[in-house]
Amino acid sequence: MSAPENVTLTIDGRVVEVPKGTGLVETAAVAGIEIPVFCYEPRLGPPVGACRMCLVEVEGIPKLQAGCTLTAQEGMVVGTGATSEKAAEGQNATLEFILVNHPLDCPVCDKGGECPLQDLTFRYGPGQTRMTFPKRTLDKPIPISPTIALDRERCILCYRCTRFSESVAEDGQLVARNRGSMSMIATFEDEPYRDLFSGNVIELCPVGALTSTQYRFEARPWEIQNVPTICGLCPVGCNISATTREGKVKRILSRNHPEVDQGWLCDKGRFAYPHLYAEDRIATPLERVRRRGFGEISWDDGLDRAEALLRGAGGRIVTALSGSETIEEAYALGRLLRVGLGAHSAVLPEATSSALDAFRAPLSSIGHAEVVVVIGEERVADRAPIVGLWIKQARRNGGDVVELAEPKLDAELEQRLRSSDRAVLIWSGRAGGGGARLAELAHSLGFDGKPGCSAFHLPATPNGRGVAEAWAAAADRDEANPEPIGLLIVSGDEAAADPAVRALAEKAEHVLAITMYHGLAVGWADLVLPATSYLERDGSFVNLEGRVQRLRRSVIPPVPDELGWISKLAARFGVEISPHASLVFAELAETVYGGEASFGDVGERAPLPARAAYEPPEPRPVAPIPPPAAAPAEHFLGTLRLLRYRPLFSGPTVERVPELRFQRPAAEVELAAADAERRQIRNGDSVTVRSESILTLRARIDRRLPPGVARIAEEHARDLGTTVEVSRSSNPFTSAGGERA
Amino acid sequence: MAEQRLVVLQGADERDLTKLAEYRAIGGYDALAKARALTPQAVIDELLASNLRGRGGAFFATGRKWSFIPKPDQNPNPHYLVVNADESEPGSFKDNEILSRVPHRFIEGCLITAHAVESKHVFVYIRGEYLGPFEAVRDALEEIREDDQLLGGVTIVVHRGAGAYICGEETALLESLEGKRGQPRSKPPFPAISGLYASPTVVNNVETLATVPPIVAMGGAAYAKLGVESSTGTRVVSLSGNLVRGGNYEVAHGITLRELIYDLGGGVPDGRELKAVIPGGSSTVILTAEEIDVPYDYDALAEVGTAMGSAGVIAIDDRCCMVQLGIRVSEFYEHESCGKCTPCREGTRWMTAILRKLEAGEASDSELDLLLDVCDRINGKCLCPLGETAAMAVASYVLKFRDEFLAHLDGGCPFGSQSPLDGVVAPVNQHTQSPVAEVPA
Ligand SMILES: Cc1cc2nc3c(=O)[nH]c(=O)nc-3n(C[C@H](O)[C@H](O)[C@H](O)COP(=O)(O)O)c2cc1C
Ligand code: SF4
Ligand code: SF4
Ligand code: SF4
Ligand code: FES
Repeated sequence: MSAPENVTLTIDGRVVEVPKGTGLVETAAVAGIEIPVFCYEPRLGPPVGACRMCLVEVEGIPKLQAGCTLTAQEGMVVGTGATSEKAAEGQNATLEFILVNHPLDCPVCDKGGECPLQDLTFRYGPGQTRMTFPKRTLDKPIPISPTIALDRERCILCYRCTRFSESVAEDGQLVARNRGSMSMIATFEDEPYRDLFSGNVIELCPVGALTSTQYRFEARPWEIQNVPTICGLCPVGCNISATTREGKVKRILSRNHPEVDQGWLCDKGRFAYPHLYAEDRIATPLERVRRRGFGEISWDDGLDRAEALLRGAGGRIVTALSGSETIEEAYALGRLLRVGLGAHSAVLPEATSSALDAFRAPLSSIGHAEVVVVIGEERVADRAPIVGLWIKQARRNGGDVVELAEPKLDAELEQRLRSSDRAVLIWSGRAGGGGARLAELAHSLGFDGKPGCSAFHLPATPNGRGVAEAWAAAADRDEANPEPIGLLIVSGDEAAADPAVRALAEKAEHVLAITMYHGLAVGWADLVLPATSYLERDGSFVNLEGRVQRLRRSVIPPVPDELGWISKLAARFGVEISPHASLVFAELAETVYGGEASFGDVGERAPLPARAAYEPPEPRPVAPIPPPAAAPAEHFLGTLRLLRYRPLFSGPTVERVPELRFQRPAAEVELAAADAERRQIRNGDSVTVRSESILTLRARIDRRLPPGVARIAEEHARDLGTTVEVSRSSNPFTSAGGERA
Repeated sequence: MAEQRLVVLQGADERDLTKLAEYRAIGGYDALAKARALTPQAVIDELLASNLRGRGGAFFATGRKWSFIPKPDQNPNPHYLVVNADESEPGSFKDNEILSRVPHRFIEGCLITAHAVESKHVFVYIRGEYLGPFEAVRDALEEIREDDQLLGGVTIVVHRGAGAYICGEETALLESLEGKRGQPRSKPPFPAISGLYASPTVVNNVETLATVPPIVAMGGAAYAKLGVESSTGTRVVSLSGNLVRGGNYEVAHGITLRELIYDLGGGVPDGRELKAVIPGGSSTVILTAEEIDVPYDYDALAEVGTAMGSAGVIAIDDRCCMVQLGIRVSEFYEHESCGKCTPCREGTRWMTAILRKLEAGEASDSELDLLLDVCDRINGKCLCPLGETAAMAVASYVLKFRDEFLAHLDGGCPFGSQSPLDGVVAPVNQHTQSPVAEVPA
């Protein structure tokens, strides 16, 4: 691309030079001049010029212009409200009109204190009202979903929310109804706003019209602190601010990393923080007591018991990692177990690899790709939701998106990928070897030499790769699989909730579980040490781009954090490890990141390391968990392969947030149209799904599903085998296993 | 000066031109054949020579508009011709008569234009309430449906609107045609570059297109001799209000408003006096009875601070209360505001509220100034002309009939209930549902 031509223009008497085509609002900002806006938001597409807050005077044009719709042109002379009386009058008029029907209930409005309408009125608006008529009144607030409330009186009709719904999330569910001064925001057909990105409209809304039901009346801006950290719920690692008040997390906001998340969050990342305050959260170590279940013990006793369990296992220890530990924690655990006890065996839910570092690029590069190939049977949104938004952006920018169940490219597609300078491969499925298979494919297509071509693997865990690398760095020995297992250490809630880990526990003599929740510990652990959440820890995660990002402790956890007590426990085995994440990181960075990254560099907006040279993938450092003994894979005529999937809205964290219940998957089986037709099944029919066990579910026909499979969310598939028979329920009165909330 | 049905409605009084055979009998569709024998550019040149200017309200030169369409090699997207048949301006009903009486001339104009701008797709966006005109066009299309040679590979789709004045604004029309909420787009880009489905699009008014075949037939230069220099040709003017003979009259530009009202419209009935004239539909600045010697052409009307708009001339006699006229017009725009931009959406509602207070005799003179100030604050700040013209029109009633407004300050309307506008209100209570989603607990 040739460098864009620069233009010189004058704003409020200041001369400024910017690349031609730069938005006037941004150009003014370069000159240190504010053009106030409400509706303008470049992330939502082209400007719409609706609110008229940004009026400016442009020399040679008699009428005031909406500054947000203009771009910098050579020789342009612009006056904003600061120097042009006419523009100031226009801005003042806009605010007067906005306020004519605005309720001005700031004292009871969540937005008060951080409200652009308050701020701009203060700077540009009239000091008093000339409106002597009754204001328009409407029912308020009304819920549009369990997480979002709408106050139509406060709405200034900037159409940011509807534009987000239409042109970013592309769900089309938020609409404007009626006309003129009775225009109002509504949901399509009055259905609740059910989209995995819905919460973004709260942050986009420039007034208190769209508010979070969770945050409602919880805090005021002058008594909160926003802690810059990252979301730990999926491998994207969106940059977030955790708003805290009096030691509690009150909401999650985006912190816009333009290369990672562009300022969007999924509803899981935004609304799941109440998991910190779940009723069954464990506050002290627990010990199994015969008949009574569990007994609470002190931390000193807890560490004594842990020490005894570790010593008693004689090195026959397996550690089931969640992949949501910080790299510092995984490293410390590795030092304790591997150096202190010679216990080298660990499993993760999925294989990991660094092979894709050779095809690294920021996620944002997907948005400009001319062709995106998504390989695998898992939905992108279930694994890494934000990646789904980047793919939509690519399509809106004219790129082609090809979805393949298997990594088999036809000759035409292969040729296209070879010749393209902006092609992206994305692996969204199992058995990808943590990116190793995709790396081989990318290499075979010649992506090595093309910086515009990249490849991404969507892992099943938020930090599996970082955890595996840290574990590997802790000691220099190969793993041996102990038989029988003396002690199974279950690290974290995802591991504790994993049926495969449970199956492993049945083969272990003892189980030590590190988990946040009672519900995950009962019945199988001999000792439970309380865990903390990603919002309560200091440390680092490696996201799916290979970007090391820093978690900051937003609030003090109710229990000591893992690094602290692991450090103490390690000392009992003669292993020295710091309880401070920064020091552990420094030690780790030496080996894993070649001493290049420092905790400070990872900072608030982590950079992406440069591409590595391609090397054929190595064997993975940490083994994946062996799947539980599977049912015999008999293929009767007419059976379908069960495609179990883990939906975005599932898992121990989401289950503890009542507001997210409505987002969880319905008790459905998804079928390809051809398979459904053959069985005379229509959308919504109640169907029987049979393998060793029998379930009744509702059928949903999904046109994008390949034939031959039945897709069922993990939590509804229960103990079905790998192949299932699906038929219409014979009894029409049998109700489906679950209702859509 | 008498009426001159020279161009657009020519022949319609003598024959039933809704019938293909009758239209053919007076040389119908010959202009199409003539145009197709010319290059697209040659047709555009003919239009440039005619100096035809758009009849939809903005009076933009039609030939120039067509010449902005990129050539197929500059933009690979299809070209579209979109016909604006949404005629909803109070006082304007000319397109209704053109579509109803000379549908074939209109269709011929569409086909010639499609040739000139190299388009194969014509969309006619017709006002939803215009059932008769819709049927006339549909029947006419039915008659030529099988005539591939006539159609020349062009598809004509007639789309009926759903009752929104704003969908007559060309970009709101395009949004609506795309199935979106009818709200104007921010310009640029103009439709010629990025219109329907982001492709090059010409939007023209019905009358503009019905004028095209006669221009091709007689030649641009001959057409330019009709009318006056700044406003060539003829215009179909809708006369309404307090007149003896309301209706559509095709006249050459340059006739005076007085001639229109007295010679063609037969003057004010019942021995009343003319008080005021709205010269170009409700969005234009009002003229007093003393100002009507102005010639009906673009420049002359601009000189007296008003516009020809959509050529809807409304005569107002001395029984009409100007405050009530203000309410009626303001309510219309409040009701029809699309709600996209702040000044129009909020300002028109405020204007109506002040006018109502004035009518009830409860306002003070500071509120009369407030009304003017509100109008002034709307004007020049809106996204599209709807809000601005509403403000200018209502402000002109106050400025030109201030005494009458002042007379309302104590005791209310001096006309009592004698004004014919008394109690006539726009249906502003439509579009006020406040739907609530059913959300799981
Ligand atoms: C609020 C508003 C309503 C309009 N309504 C119409 C209409 O009903 N019919 C029409 O032809 N033009 C209407 N216009 C003008 C169109 O935007 C556009 O200028 C016209 O269709 C262009 O056609 P022309 O060049 O043939 O005049 C309207 C404009 C505005 C701002
Ligand atoms: S609800 Fe908020 S974001 Fe949506 S239009 Fe209203 S003010 Fe704008
Ligand atoms: S996409 Fe991932 S990282 Fe981003 S908010 Fe959602 S769960 Fe968190
Ligand atoms: S001026 Fe009125 S009709 Fe035009 S865009 Fe603004 S609100 Fe809509
Ligand atoms: S910010 Fe420019 S019109 Fe809203």
